[in-house]
Amino acid sequence: MLNRREFGMLGAGLAMSGLAPRLAMAKDSGFKIMMTPKWTGFPYFELTGDGAKAAAKDLGDTVIYAGADHADVSLQVETLQNFVTQKPDAIILAAIDLNAVAPVLVDARKKGIVVATYDADAAVPARDFFCNQLSYEQAAKLMLDCALIDVPEGGEIAFIAASPTSPNHMAHIKIMTELSQSDAKYKVFKPVDTQFAADDDAKSYDVAVNLMQAHPNLKVIISSSAVSAPAAARAIEASGHVGKVYATGFALPSAIKRYLENGSQKAFGFWDPFELGYVVAYETHMKLAGKFDPSKVGATIEVPKANATFTAGKDGEVVYGKPLIFTKETVGKYNF
Amino acid sequence: MASRAKRQWPFWEIALVVAIFAAGAWSSTLSPYYLSVDQLFSSTRAFIIPGLLALGLAVVVSFGEIDISLASTLAVGTVALSKFSAAGAPLSVAAPIVVLICGVCGVFNGVLVAKWRLPSLAVTLGTMGAFRGLAFIVGSEVGYTDFNDAYSWLGSEYLFGGVVPASLILFAVAAIAVWFLMHRTIYGRRCFSIGLNPDAAWFAGVGVIGVKIAAYALAGAFAGLAAIVWIGQYGSARGDNADGSILFVVTAVVLGGMDINGGRGTISGVALALFLLGTIRNGMGLANIGGPTQTVVLGLLLVGGVLRPAFAAALARLRRPVESADAGA
Repeated sequence: MLNRREFGMLGAGLAMSGLAPRLAMAKDSGFKIMMTPKWTGFPYFELTGDGAKAAAKDLGDTVIYAGADHADVSLQVETLQNFVTQKPDAIILAAIDLNAVAPVLVDARKKGIVVATYDADAAVPARDFFCNQLSYEQAAKLMLDCALIDVPEGGEIAFIAASPTSPNHMAHIKIMTELSQSDAKYKVFKPVDTQFAADDDAKSYDVAVNLMQAHPNLKVIISSSAVSAPAAARAIEASGHVGKVYATGFALPSAIKRYLENGSQKAFGFWDPFELGYVVAYETHMKLAGKFDPSKVGATIEVPKANATFTAGKDGEVVYGKPLIFTKETVGKYNF
Repeated sequence: MASRAKRQWPFWEIALVVAIFAAGAWSSTLSPYYLSVDQLFSSTRAFIIPGLLALGLAVVVSFGEIDISLASTLAVGTVALSKFSAAGAPLSVAAPIVVLICGVCGVFNGVLVAKWRLPSLAVTLGTMGAFRGLAFIVGSEVGYTDFNDAYSWLGSEYLFGGVVPASLILFAVAAIAVWFLMHRTIYGRRCFSIGLNPDAAWFAGVGVIGVKIAAYALAGAFAGLAAIVWIGQYGSARGDNADGSILFVVTAVVLGGMDINGGRGTISGVALALFLLGTIRNGMGLANIGGPTQTVVLGLLLVGGVLRPAFAAALARLRRPVESADAGA
């Protein structure tokens, strides 16, 4: 019993000693930043982690990158809980479920920890700002532009999303559907179906095959999932639909290079994940140093390495917004 | 047989206790943040939800069957709770009905397995998908988060000066209740007897079908209880709640010494295995050890748990000559 009380006092002592420097503040480097992606081990997220570490190196901070090896929200909450216990200056995450991570993040913010999201946002009160890779509108247009490169004359298109609860995928599909009805440039497309594949390679393959069987006039399969889009490209090749059906959407260049080079596919879109990681860590540093306030609409931040200035929008959303299109000619330039 | 079993030392439980302390000591060297009362208690919250599922699963495993649909049943429970919350029903009304709904999911499994004699792995693999789909349909495309404080009390409140999670106390009560059921009542003995030899149990007058259906119903009801804790802990009801957590649950049951073929095992072992897994995960998490490494460790422990009966049998074979010599003298 006495032991336990002693431990308790030890804990309280640690908590206070951890709090003291934060109250004193006025630091402008040497921050401890902890980062967790949706899941570790996937090249895209590893690159964002490398980018954040590069920013930390330039600015004199430390970035610790950790997380579970599959997208499981209860494991992500556990990771975040462990982060909070370690009293970092800031936490950066890509949220699996925007609401489920909210309680632990709100708790973190109460303790004075700056919370930033990238790739996939958390509930607005649970974080300080969201470094959005592309606005939903930009993303939707980018994917439709790729589809136009595939099939300039248009036709039937179908979507593959991760699940009905993945916020960005569903928003992209909604906007793409609206654009195909309202925007003259995209009116050539007619959305016919939406299927779900849980960011799973084998499932995406099966779903793509089913879509081609169910819709004989299908021209393009579009997915915001960097897992599903390459799987659809593989399914098109394996089922002998090359030249009749195209896959597009978001994909890592390394995953779709061979399809672009052998001519079975024409275009995919993405952004630079390394630079996205760099930018979110840079913005986090500036927020900690008091040089960037994302809560003020119109606040700007210049990131020299990214050659760009970013502006805070509504609800602390800072759009990174540098889309890339990979084609046969350009795909060789990228090494991720 | 029973009296002899009682006199034996519970070697596996002792081994688990030793392992828990070893893991704790190791964790405290991994991370300076590990050893504080607040941290230790709040870290237990990470395994209370799989823990409740494991208690239910242990009852099913005691007679040699399995239920891998429990995580999906939990999702049915969370989306059902969201409907009650949206309708403004008080928790005192919603909670029993949700536990009942999840229990009915369990009964469905139980009838297919016990009455129609279908293999439980195939049945619950099917219902794992079916219940998950049901949760997605009922929960619709967007998650529900608008729970009031009464709904989240059980999963988010800390008692005794804000140190002990309320859900930990719930888990302790549940564990003791299941321990009593399995080791101090006739029902528990019937479960284990079916696991040892279903035909012999039937000839001895055990209502095999009823016992099995009751166990599946209990496991489902525990998933419903876990759903209530989930809402408090994460505040989010969606079709994909607890997806992928079943590996941890099965690992805890097997590592706890429940024979996957039925007939042997203890609930205290399962509870200790949960503490061991929780301690290891907590320590590795605080040391920011990568996810793949953690999964490998979890998988190795599962293999260790499965190999344990074979290892114990080999040990027993080595010891047997000595024992018979003792009996002769």
